[in-house]
Amino acid sequence: MAKKECLAMLLAGGQGSRLKALTKNIAKPAVAFGGKFRIIDFALSNCANSRIDTVGVLTQYRPYVLHSYIGTGAAWNLDSQGGGVSILPPYETESGGAWYAGTADAIYQNLDYILDNDPAYVLILSGDHLYSMDYSKMLAHHIEHNADLTVSVMPVDWSEASRFGILTKDENDAIVKFSEKPKNPDSNLASMGIYIFSTAALVTALRSDAKDPESSHDFGKNIIPKMLAKNKRLFVYEFNGFWRDVGTIDSYYETNMALLGEDPEFNIYDESQPIMSNATTTPSQLIGEKAKIEDAIVANGVRIYGDVRHSIVSTASFVAARAKVEDSLLLPNSCVWEGAVVQNTILGERSVINAGLVVGNPNAETTVIGNDVIVDAAYLQKLVEDGKAPKPKKALPVVKTAKSKPRGALAKGGGCK
Amino acid sequence: MTRIVGLVTTNYLGDKQYEVTVRRPLAALPVLGRYRMLDFALSNLVNAGIDTLGIILPTNYRSIVDHVKSGKDWNLDRKHAGLFYLPGSAYGMARTGDGHFLLRDFLDNRVFLERERDSYIVISSGSLIYNMDYVPLVEAHAASGADITVVTQKAQDPATALMSFEIENGEVLSYKQGVQPGDNAFLDTFVISGKKFLELLGWFEVVEHLDFFEAISADKSSINVRAYEYNLPAFPIFTLEEYYRNSMRLLDPELSGILFDWARPVRTKAHDNPPAKYESGAKVSYSMVSGGSIVAGSVENSILGRNVIVEPGASIKNSIIFQNCVIKARAKIDYAIIDKNNTVPEKAELKGTLEHLAVQEKVLTPALTSDVIM
Repeated sequence: MAKKECLAMLLAGGQGSRLKALTKNIAKPAVAFGGKFRIIDFALSNCANSRIDTVGVLTQYRPYVLHSYIGTGAAWNLDSQGGGVSILPPYETESGGAWYAGTADAIYQNLDYILDNDPAYVLILSGDHLYSMDYSKMLAHHIEHNADLTVSVMPVDWSEASRFGILTKDENDAIVKFSEKPKNPDSNLASMGIYIFSTAALVTALRSDAKDPESSHDFGKNIIPKMLAKNKRLFVYEFNGFWRDVGTIDSYYETNMALLGEDPEFNIYDESQPIMSNATTTPSQLIGEKAKIEDAIVANGVRIYGDVRHSIVSTASFVAARAKVEDSLLLPNSCVWEGAVVQNTILGERSVINAGLVVGNPNAETTVIGNDVIVDAAYLQKLVEDGKAPKPKKALPVVKTAKSKPRGALAKGGGCK
Repeated sequence: MTRIVGLVTTNYLGDKQYEVTVRRPLAALPVLGRYRMLDFALSNLVNAGIDTLGIILPTNYRSIVDHVKSGKDWNLDRKHAGLFYLPGSAYGMARTGDGHFLLRDFLDNRVFLERERDSYIVISSGSLIYNMDYVPLVEAHAASGADITVVTQKAQDPATALMSFEIENGEVLSYKQGVQPGDNAFLDTFVISGKKFLELLGWFEVVEHLDFFEAISADKSSINVRAYEYNLPAFPIFTLEEYYRNSMRLLDPELSGILFDWARPVRTKAHDNPPAKYESGAKVSYSMVSGGSIVAGSVENSILGRNVIVEPGASIKNSIIFQNCVIKARAKIDYAIIDKNNTVPEKAELKGTLEHLAVQEKVLTPALTSDVIM
């Protein structure tokens, strides 16, 4: 069999603690995005679209949903013979076990996997970035420069540069300096956390870093500076498309909303780079007689009988009659009952807003309701106290939710039980 | 319980005036946005726990094989058992006779059937929209000791392509082609033991050009056929009129709720379409919309397949639009069925009536959609 050219290692172990309620039970790469996707779909689809057929996925934090979602990798066309997706969790050895201590440590712990596959190059990715990118162009750039390490960078506003890991390059794209969140940046090229290593250079760098007790075993903080100090061949590859690390609730919300509009910044309708996902089969969406939908993204399995404006309604969610959803993100299997109003809110998976309740505040920060929450009068009271919902004008209506259920068996498996 | 295997027949023609079936077998007809007709029969079998399933193919089988492929989306790509593509005879698509269970197609596949001598076989044509639990059907069949148990329903609508039965105390007394309202319509689904099926096929070898039930009706005294009445919605789709009327009926939330029962999901081929998108100014009501579609115009009382682009100012009413169509700005469509890959030009009008639907046949190369998508 032909030697494997490039193997991808996908770092998917992070909690994403700044996503708060959304990552309470699932790892950040498994968080739903854009109506039908999960965040990890983008990195996995990029691999498949770049003809990389072997991907190791390093998991650690609450991995169950992520593991079951990835499955065999078939959903991303990654179940080929001689290739495939391998889930790589932390493990125990004869001298004990340990969690992954940092990005570089996670790869170091899995050198066996890399060496067994024996690729010429190793691509290191994050499972929690949103972008479409053809890695084969970056690989061609790496090979052309005979590099030991190529770091993908994107130009950012100079005013923002001090928030990123900044790379300074010379006229030949060679990296001359790495500065983590510099106060006075001399470059605006931010590292995207996407690396291509020539395998031998990676193995040498990781083995030496592992022996360093001072190191925090991070690619940006430790590996790149050390390789620079050793005069290794480090280059940048400049990427000019849409790329986001959805680290916070705000950026998660904004990146979702960036899919809306007539000429969206982030185009998921590009057929040459299809974004694949492990979707369950649900019927085409059903739009009711009195529904109003404008400026929205709506996934399959959804039923809408109320008003939806400037929002994303994810797979198998439900918006009842006379309900209003505005500037909001309904995650899969969520449900807004009759007459409820949802504004500027992220409603978690399988969560429910009871009939007649008003949630979210258009003039404050986005309200986040986690997964599997039922927002009833008591829960709303807490939201009102936290400024996450307007004070009800009158006493909260006592509506028996059971009465307002849609008829028919469709409600059975959805969020609207 | 005795093992059950499934058989889906697809080797028959639709109504001759049925333009959307010109280039494809009826069972491969796109329906309700993202489905193909035979998804319902396949899903019913799989949801009954059946892991061995044969599809009797017509000679123009491309669209069926392209849709079902390895059977993975129906959980039929098993290491053992799974999906079997069975050849149907050229005669199936050529003949003008009635019935959807051509004897020759079963006789030609005795190799498959011989292995199932000790199983029950549930046989269904691929042209009904229904979500039926076959387990009680097989249980009733086993308990009754009948040779064959057929699924029937009191008909609401006339249906020329189905048979109807005269039934007394659950026993089928006589057969006729065609259904009138109030008749016991045969829902093209029956169960028989492998052993009995092989025995009957042996008897009927000399009349292999007939339909299975035509042959039985000539010999009904020696074969015990019982009826199993099914009361949930079931819609045949053998004519253009049936296709339109029954598709539109399923825009009703209650009916579609019964059909798309989450406990028994209707499975279909998975596609990597992004979600549908509604632009500012879009107006959509009482409609079904599928993944990948982008709607900027108005859609009312209509069904859109996957990747349909409705440009600003375009209006679609009372119509069914198949996948990959582009409805250009300010085009007006009413009472129409537009098959795959069509582009309706700017300001064009395509208007039919309920009695005379405007039908646009399939275009072989997809429309150039990139300029509107990008």
